[in-house]
Amino acid sequence: MSVPRLIAVGYDGSADSVAALRWGAEIASTIGARLRIVHAVGLLEHAGLSGRCSPHEQAATDVACRVGLDIAQVEWRVRDGEPAAVLRRETLGDDAADLLVVGTRGAGAHGGGTLGSTSLDLAQTATVPVVVVAG
Amino acid sequence: MTTVVLAGPAGESAHDGGPHPESPARVVAAMKGVHDLHLGSDLVTVDVGPASREDLARVHSLRYLDELEAFSGRGGGALDPDTFVTSDSWDAACRAAGAGLAAVAELERRRDGVGFVAARPPGHHAVRSRGMGFCLLNNVAVTAASLVAGGARVAIVDWDVHHGNGTQEIFWDEPAVLYISTHQSPLYPGTGRPDEIGGARARGKTVNIPLPPGATGDVVSLAFSEVVAPAVDSFVPDWILVSCGFDAHRADPLAELALSSADFAALAATVQQLAPCGGRTVLFLEGGYDLQAVRRSTASTIGALVGDRTFPEDPTFGGPGADAVRAATMLRERALSEVDKECSGGGSLDAPHTGSRGAPTTRLRSDW
Ligand SMILES: [Zn+2]
Repeated sequence: MSVPRLIAVGYDGSADSVAALRWGAEIASTIGARLRIVHAVGLLEHAGLSGRCSPHEQAATDVACRVGLDIAQVEWRVRDGEPAAVLRRETLGDDAADLLVVGTRGAGAHGGGTLGSTSLDLAQTATVPVVVVAG
Repeated sequence: MTTVVLAGPAGESAHDGGPHPESPARVVAAMKGVHDLHLGSDLVTVDVGPASREDLARVHSLRYLDELEAFSGRGGGALDPDTFVTSDSWDAACRAAGAGLAAVAELERRRDGVGFVAARPPGHHAVRSRGMGFCLLNNVAVTAASLVAGGARVAIVDWDVHHGNGTQEIFWDEPAVLYISTHQSPLYPGTGRPDEIGGARARGKTVNIPLPPGATGDVVSLAFSEVVAPAVDSFVPDWILVSCGFDAHRADPLAELALSSADFAALAATVQQLAPCGGRTVLFLEGGYDLQAVRRSTASTIGALVGDRTFPEDPTFGGPGADAVRAATMLRERALSEVDKECSGGGSLDAPHTGSRGAPTTRLRSDW
């Protein structure tokens, strides 16, 4: 495969997603790729009913910059939808990501097994390489 | 007077996730709306049983069904940040999925009337391989797939404020199903663009009309008169199923459309005009999270179908979105013509209709 030019990282503020973001930023910095931090907004978060604070752009970009990535190479993107579907859409169309990075488990994720797992869903369905980072 | 066949309540006490907007109280509110109409002998309630494995397997993968049943059996948990599973969710979901089948069976027996499914958890976000967006099993899809397996053509009209990504995905390449959705955009689940028009075997059988926040009843009615009605009319369905969410109501906490309960009555009246011979129309409760709005909207919607036009709220006018309806039509036509060009010399958009198992479908519209 060719060297990735645009890496999309799934980010929801959870510890695993921070680990994924840090890994994605380090790789982007090393190979000169851009980094897109993608946050999927669900039904409850849209209504302010998720019971958690929504992730902040500043906190996310700070993580990326702390590992040496130029802020100009970092993009923050918020999209409505279920996380795996949102990340899959990032690999389609113009300016598509050619590498996806996710944590093993997100905030509010399932209690185990394969049901509802974003990382497993993407590993099975994405058309670009997927990296799953343990927190 | 039209007879209302009520399938439910189902989920009025089970599948309780605690402080969550998708609560058992929603079905209780819908039932109050039904009873507010005092339909007497024109209301027929049917028993709801669980959908069978065969029914569910038409629209969901066996692996997902096994996993969901086992997860619920272990006590459940969070399926995703929106969607919960409890120890009784599997049974509740199977009953919700079976409710539409019970309504259809009774309507077929009576050869008259209109069905209303007062069941939860809702279904239209559930895709083939997973639940999401408060939905575990795709209730409307289970009923539609059962009808298609019997040779029918089914139009699904989805006026829930959210796009029914699950229903669209399940029938993406099914020429015997027409799926039409009006929904707020941008909003969860992020799907439902006008250029999403269906798979190779079913080009044009998916119709999406995204509307901006603030759109009022007159705008949705415009979408129904200019897009939904012509599409259903030319499809000539044997059944119309409605994904009847009430979360496009202006009081709903999960979205920003601005309809009143009276507006749902207008949409229901349009659907009724499109209904196949003998009714053959079933409405499925989907979303709707303001309990008073659910109660009023249920009463208005069913009231419109039985000729009761006393609405507690006025219709709404003047919101944005008329241009979005026209833009959706244009984008859809452009997408269709691009496919047409690609297909020229190699197949037709209007391929012969086939059922879900490849058997030719039978036109049932005048079969009563
Ligand atoms: Zn909804």
